[in-house]
Amino acid sequence: MGELLTQRSGVINVGIEGLMLFGAATSFLTAQTFDAFAGFLAGTVVGAVFGLFHSILSVSLKVNQIVSGMGVWLFAMGFVTYWADRYTGPLRVSIPKIAGLTPAVFVALVILVALWFVLNRTHFGLKTRAVGENPAAAEVSGVNVVRIRYICTTVGAALCGFSGSVLLLSYLGAWSHLPTKGLGWLAFGLVMFSLWRPGILLAGSLAFGFVWQFAISPHTIFPGFPAPLPVNRMLPFLMTIVVLTIISTESFRKRWALMKPEALGQPYIKE
Amino acid sequence: MRSADSPNILEVKGLVKTFPNGVVALDHVDLEMKRGEIHAILGENGAGKTTLMNILFGLLKPDEGEIYLNGERVVFHSPIDAINKGLGMVHQHRKLISAHTVFDNIILGHPRTGRIIEKNKLRAEIEELCRRFGFKIDLDARVWQLTAGEKQLVEIIRALYRGARILILDEPTSVLTPPEIDGFLQSLKAVSKSDITLIPFVTHKLPEVFAISDRVTILRRGRVVKTLRTSDATIRSLAEDMVGRELTFELERPLVQMGKEILKVENLSAMNDKGLVAFKNITFSLHEGEIFGIAGVTGNGQHELAESIFGLRKPVSGKIYFEGKDITKHGVLERLKMGITYVPPERLGVAVVGDLSLIDNVLLTYYFEKPLTKAGFIDYKLAKNLTEKIIAEFNIVAPGPGAKSAHLSGGNLQKLILGRVLIKNPKVIIANLPTQGLDIAAETYVRRRLLECKKMGIGVLLVSENLDEILQLSDTVAPIYEGQFVRILNNVNLVKEEVGAMIAGAYSRRGTVYA
Amino acid sequence: MLSLRVPKIKLERIVIISQWRAIRISVYSIASAFLIFSLVLFYEGADPLQAFQNMFSFAFDPKLGLSLTIHRAIFIMFCTMAFIVPLRAGLWNIGMEGQFYMGTIGAFFIAYTFPNYQPEILIPLMIIGGSIAGAAYGAVTGVLRGRFNVNEVVVALMLNNIAFWIVYLLVVGGPWAGIAESSSRPLPNSAHAPYIFNIPFTFFLAIAIAVLLFFFLRMTVTGYKIRVLGHSETVARISGINQVTLFAFAMTVGGAIAGMAGYHMWAADPAFLMIPRPDAYKAIGDLTYWGIIIGLVCLLNPIPTIPASLFISSIITGSTVLVRRMRLPFGLDFLFLGIISITFAAFQFFYNYRLRVMRR
Repeated sequence: MGELLTQRSGVINVGIEGLMLFGAATSFLTAQTFDAFAGFLAGTVVGAVFGLFHSILSVSLKVNQIVSGMGVWLFAMGFVTYWADRYTGPLRVSIPKIAGLTPAVFVALVILVALWFVLNRTHFGLKTRAVGENPAAAEVSGVNVVRIRYICTTVGAALCGFSGSVLLLSYLGAWSHLPTKGLGWLAFGLVMFSLWRPGILLAGSLAFGFVWQFAISPHTIFPGFPAPLPVNRMLPFLMTIVVLTIISTESFRKRWALMKPEALGQPYIKE
Repeated sequence: MRSADSPNILEVKGLVKTFPNGVVALDHVDLEMKRGEIHAILGENGAGKTTLMNILFGLLKPDEGEIYLNGERVVFHSPIDAINKGLGMVHQHRKLISAHTVFDNIILGHPRTGRIIEKNKLRAEIEELCRRFGFKIDLDARVWQLTAGEKQLVEIIRALYRGARILILDEPTSVLTPPEIDGFLQSLKAVSKSDITLIPFVTHKLPEVFAISDRVTILRRGRVVKTLRTSDATIRSLAEDMVGRELTFELERPLVQMGKEILKVENLSAMNDKGLVAFKNITFSLHEGEIFGIAGVTGNGQHELAESIFGLRKPVSGKIYFEGKDITKHGVLERLKMGITYVPPERLGVAVVGDLSLIDNVLLTYYFEKPLTKAGFIDYKLAKNLTEKIIAEFNIVAPGPGAKSAHLSGGNLQKLILGRVLIKNPKVIIANLPTQGLDIAAETYVRRRLLECKKMGIGVLLVSENLDEILQLSDTVAPIYEGQFVRILNNVNLVKEEVGAMIAGAYSRRGTVYA
Repeated sequence: MLSLRVPKIKLERIVIISQWRAIRISVYSIASAFLIFSLVLFYEGADPLQAFQNMFSFAFDPKLGLSLTIHRAIFIMFCTMAFIVPLRAGLWNIGMEGQFYMGTIGAFFIAYTFPNYQPEILIPLMIIGGSIAGAAYGAVTGVLRGRFNVNEVVVALMLNNIAFWIVYLLVVGGPWAGIAESSSRPLPNSAHAPYIFNIPFTFFLAIAIAVLLFFFLRMTVTGYKIRVLGHSETVARISGINQVTLFAFAMTVGGAIAGMAGYHMWAADPAFLMIPRPDAYKAIGDLTYWGIIIGLVCLLNPIPTIPASLFISSIITGSTVLVRRMRLPFGLDFLFLGIISITFAAFQFFYNYRLRVMRR
């Protein structure tokens, strides 16, 4: 969801995996010393910090967005390993569950609805969408492009950090070396796959998640299911490529308005 | 028509703007606009219209001069200031979000929209506005689905909804098809009846200006030539004032026997980038040693025509023959190999790469054939010699053949672009605005060189907005208007105002009434 | 946004960047990374100078780290060149990880199918096999970009993940599984890379390719066309240069080189000689991203990649000594690499702006 917001404003943040790592590490360590809530909070804040960093680099300093995101990612890998690997081990606090599900799920649903609402029903959302399509036109209408991109990127990154916290505190429960295992890239693909719409995002994440986990032990549901783990794991990425190709063809463009935000990845240069 | 004693809503006094390269865009311009009138500003490209418009809207700051709104002095730091003071602008290049609906575009950035969008309330207000002015538009349509005229309407509605009392329109009719123009003019009339001042900026399309404006101001080379009531002028007189009478320089046009026909264009039509028809059913021929001049204001299809002949744009119908062969389907590379060359209207980033050396840029016209390329390898020694030869022969001021092209001045760069083409002794040169942005010395040099092409038996297709240039250089003149050649004339005893009137639309279907 | 009171510093946009300036920026960014890392070392109670000395002496010591340094350097060289060629045409080849995996598959496929061939035949076949596999993978990205204008970065990232799982499919409990369930069978002896002066021959292969690329870009027509395309698509169009074919070509070449790395990595390192467990080969896959950074540092010029790769690889190898010998906390080596990445990204800012101090 975080990356969806960011990309809607026209900024690509490829450092999702890194943000999740930071979020996970920070929240783990914080939770060990304080409590779970502080852990979640810390993870989110750290995400925001790096989102701000990415914004400064790509929006104000016009650094190539891919390079900047990668920088954050690689740095995260290094820093987090250095910082947290020495504490490898299980978590000491436990997270209360509601109806067998961690509270994070409910939080996520709430955020999803909020995201949808903000994007489609508020002025801020309209401005954001405009900035992602045609920043020059938005500027002329009185929209502060720079500010919107900053906000979207930072908030988006905060959400990524939060997701890292969730991953660690609610699911894994213990620290190991680089725990995110490619989930960040899955999220990246998911954003594109969802055609930048929160509704599809929900469906897609359920689908991706299902396929991802399903791959581990398909026999429990479909005995004798032939496709092994790796194939299932590949599927989400394959599907994303296919979807992207389809929407990039001319014929698709003419019929649906489901194109990507036009200005995605392009720095905004004021004349 | 408004009476002469309506209060002035906008006054401009002594506006001066000089650009860093020394060009004086506006030279003590005075203007006054009355409330509720339609006051058109006329001028050729380069007369200062764009600069004036940008200053009025807050995109540029003047060096000297003052702007008064309703008698009160105002200074704009950005378009937002202008918008807040009641100025609205309808741009020539649409500033709309294509993927969004009309409704979304109108309410974007509007102070009334508030935090949460109250769709119904705002919608009702906008619909009321449309009713008041008689605008018919579907608020839920996506902008990319609209025609050019409808998009323009959206921009007008948006400006009006923001509370604009003065609307600046940048070339409003340039993208409209003739049937749309009538409806559009009606809408404008309705708007002005509500006490809103309209300032259309136009370069041509004189018939429309005539049809609806109350007063007209003519700009030429940064100065106001005159301001008058439209009823006191005719299209001819307006064209004259825009263009000026005398020719500004003299060049010897060598009389050379025209050779055989090398290029023949038959019933060619193509679309422009916006999906509209750029030009239709163009037919003409070019001979060896002939300079064929296409005169017209940008936006009438001449650039698309040049691109089609060179191969950059696929025509929708018609044929192009080169030396008798049908080359309509051939790509750019093949045409280059045949000897058809192109001088584009812009230099850096279009004709040359700024970051590459002069040698590499010269290679752009040589890389696909011998002798500079042998067996897939580039002979850099030969290339360097060639570049040095071009530098010497064309008097180019440059640090050396290895210098980056971005370090050259415009004039020198254009000499290089022309030089690399001429040294090849091509069969055809398509020169698209070859003297754009050049100083007098470079202009003259380029023109002289083009004239020399006649002696070399090269056929030159010249596209230019400068009537002096066309008349001095061309053997055949074809004024273009709305995608069609008005006439194809021999350049014998041609009168400048005549041609000026043709490119301004005096001879178009609507123009014939007024000519 | 950023403004200091006294003295006033103005940000000025740069339009063209000179060669020297770009080199200086690269050097500064590495230097800053060293500085920042020194601060971390201080914090951990270590002496930076001693640390660096240990690092480099270990990395270049023939009895200790030198062979590893060279081996990784070769790998990075391949990756860097795989990144440089497409970028010269204007394409970001982020897909090296995937192309590397495919190259691994290609090379191993040949090895397993023809285990009894002579090394003189088998090894070149393996390299070719790896290149073809990597090239095909690169071509997919290139074509999708050229024909359909799909963003090559996204496609490449997706393909990377897919390739990872393909290797997994083949190795973990799959047709190539070895004795240990999650790694592959070892390579046949004839597939092992021969050594010249204790250096795997792939080193010379990489250098040869670097030199070849250098001349290719400079001297050939295709190289010229690629360069023009990379600078400006518009100018290329007007000059009759075909974008679609060149994009596909550039990516294919990039993929081919990355695919070669697939042979080298495993066959030229005595510690491997097979495909290891997923986290191990993923770690190597992550190394491919260094190709991006070194490529940018070298300003897309193939020749400097030789010393630059050696340098970076010595850091990678040498920093392990910090943990082992100097008893510094685990992960410090990763941290250093991370710092280099992020300082480099931050220094990109200087490509676009110049700081000018104005006296009030």
